[in-house]
Amino acid sequence: MAAVQVSLPLPVLPQGWSEEKDFKPIGQLSSATQRNIEPVGPHFLAHARRKRHKRTFSEDER
Amino acid sequence: MSAQQDGEVASPEVHAIGISFGNSNSSIAYTSSEGKAEVIANEEGDRYIPSVLSYVKGEEYHGTQAKSQLVRNNENTVAYFRDYLGKDFDSLDPRPCHASAHAKKHGSTVAFSIQDTESEAHNAVTVSEITTRHIRRLASSASDFMGKKVNAAVISVPTNFTETQREALTQASKEAGVEVLQMISEPTAAVLAYDARSEAEIKDKIIVVADFGGTRSDVAVVASRGGMYSILSTSHDYETAGAQLDQILIDHFAKEFIKKNKTDPRQNPKSLAKLKLEAEATKKSLSLGGNASLNVESIADGVDFASTVNRTRYEMLAAKVFASFTRIIEDAVRKADLDILDIDEVILSGGTSHTPRISQNLQRFFSSKTRILSPSTLPTAIDPSSLAARGAAIQASLISEFDKEDIEQSTHPMVTVTPHLRNAIGIMVVTDDIKKGLFTALVEKETAVPCKRVGIFAAPREGGDVIVKVCEGARDIKITKKEKLKTNGKAASDDSDLDSDNEEEDEEVREKIWKVGTVLAEAAIKGVKKGGKVEVTVHVGADLGVVVTAREVGAKGGVRGTLDKPRVVENGSA
Ligand SMILES: Nc1ncnc2c1ncn2[C@@H]1O[C@H](COP(=O)(O)OP(=O)(O)OP(=O)(O)O)[C@@H](O)[C@H]1O
Ligand SMILES: [Mg+2]
Repeated sequence: MAAVQVSLPLPVLPQGWSEEKDFKPIGQLSSATQRNIEPVGPHFLAHARRKRHKRTFSEDER
Repeated sequence: MSAQQDGEVASPEVHAIGISFGNSNSSIAYTSSEGKAEVIANEEGDRYIPSVLSYVKGEEYHGTQAKSQLVRNNENTVAYFRDYLGKDFDSLDPRPCHASAHAKKHGSTVAFSIQDTESEAHNAVTVSEITTRHIRRLASSASDFMGKKVNAAVISVPTNFTETQREALTQASKEAGVEVLQMISEPTAAVLAYDARSEAEIKDKIIVVADFGGTRSDVAVVASRGGMYSILSTSHDYETAGAQLDQILIDHFAKEFIKKNKTDPRQNPKSLAKLKLEAEATKKSLSLGGNASLNVESIADGVDFASTVNRTRYEMLAAKVFASFTRIIEDAVRKADLDILDIDEVILSGGTSHTPRISQNLQRFFSSKTRILSPSTLPTAIDPSSLAARGAAIQASLISEFDKEDIEQSTHPMVTVTPHLRNAIGIMVVTDDIKKGLFTALVEKETAVPCKRVGIFAAPREGGDVIVKVCEGARDIKITKKEKLKTNGKAASDDSDLDSDNEEEDEEVREKIWKVGTVLAEAAIKGVKKGGKVEVTVHVGADLGVVVTAREVGAKGGVRGTLDKPRVVENGSA
């Protein structure tokens, strides 16, 4: 998908903000909802290919 | 494709089409070598082929010819049978075939008692057999057109088609020499038909697919995310569809006839059948013009009947039914836990969606930002009657080369059931006037993981050090009661066009706003040059772990950090 263009600017870095490697992890994502993706269209087929490939891949590793 | 083994019989080449199979009409479509879906006209030139079979002295009629037999030969004419497939008699609604061959209990299934051979005998022909004959006729029309034998198809079916119904349809098609490669849901087919157009841009959006047919209306709310589709809710209505609109005109003309002739043409089945066919034609004309005529030869007692009706009158008579179409959509949106303002697009599908008033009502119902994709609201809209068949044809072209096993594995819940984000993920930006942060969504909620989104953000005008603050966000609806305009010292002329909108007091203005949730991470990008931009990538893994990368566009290096997956993973509804 194409990148989203945002014209409003990012905030200025607060004085004294300092973190190792300039990155500060703070939280985690909320839990997810299990849903069905419709098995239709080119993007789904690409997803299915990746997912099936990955599954056999990780099973091989075990 | 796997290499051929010794002794293995070569399977015939797959020639696949898309089929939409409705209770009222069916369509066949193929995908051209340029990847464009096209609807195929049958020998009679019809692209919308009535799902009707009729028998006269052992001869089989199909489509429009069969439908016209509803007047003289209704007992040997089978119509509106799709929804009976794979159902037991006790659970079905017999009303749609009231004026054609009646559905009867036949063991554990449903059959029609018809004279389908040269003999006088009435045979019990099961709904499966009827379906086989119908699919055979469709496939034969497609084969004629394609110049090669069509032997496979993707068929679109309603979202509430049961597993038993799917099996029955697969079997019935097989008997007709058509292997069902996949059954796809009708709303998804409609979305795919639009997304497959070369000018389509893949964007994250919430789409309502409103399929208004002949005997039923079905609505689905679909989250479209990076070209993948998840159905959030569905709604079905068997009392609001084309048949109810036909009835409005039947009643209107019957009353007019009674006034002059003192007989009610609805009392006589043959007269009613004629009137129904003609009223439907009149209704379709009213979708195009402001006036339409009705002509019925020998409607009752040998009297001919001719009349006209204008669209305004029709819209007045049908106002209540039209309002119900909007209500079905409202219901589906509510079921999806969404607000009307969340809907980016409404795709109108099905024959009844040609009706201008229905889409105009929707245009008024939704916000001006919602795109209503229908012939009367958007010149580039695709013919709503063709959407399901087109989508099925596109899917057919995508999978016709696959092995059966490949298709089965790809459509298996192991692959299709996927975690979807509960909240949006976005980045904080600053607005010009207030010194308050504003959330900008990068990944929308209901996006299936793994997923990746990229945003390019402006930096302060003079450049310098900036902070990338990644947060979860939840959409909220802000309701403002607009009282008499308080200008807060601003020049009133600035708001002059608002003024005129707000003449009524107490008007409610509803708008979508973001509520910032959990802060996920912060990253610093230092020394951004004047006029520079920052590219932020959020990558959510299958386990909901997050990788954030940020860098100045065109600069080397940048920041990369990871967030652990959440500790608890709840199970939502699939
Ligand atoms: N141009 C038009 N204007 C208004 N109504 C139309 C128009 N064309 C078709 N229709 C109506 O659309 C209905 C058929 O829609 P469609 O072909 O989508 O039905 P279907 O999905 O096969 O049927 P069902 O809902 O019974 O399963 C009929 O009531 C028909 O009169
Ligand atoms: Mg339909």
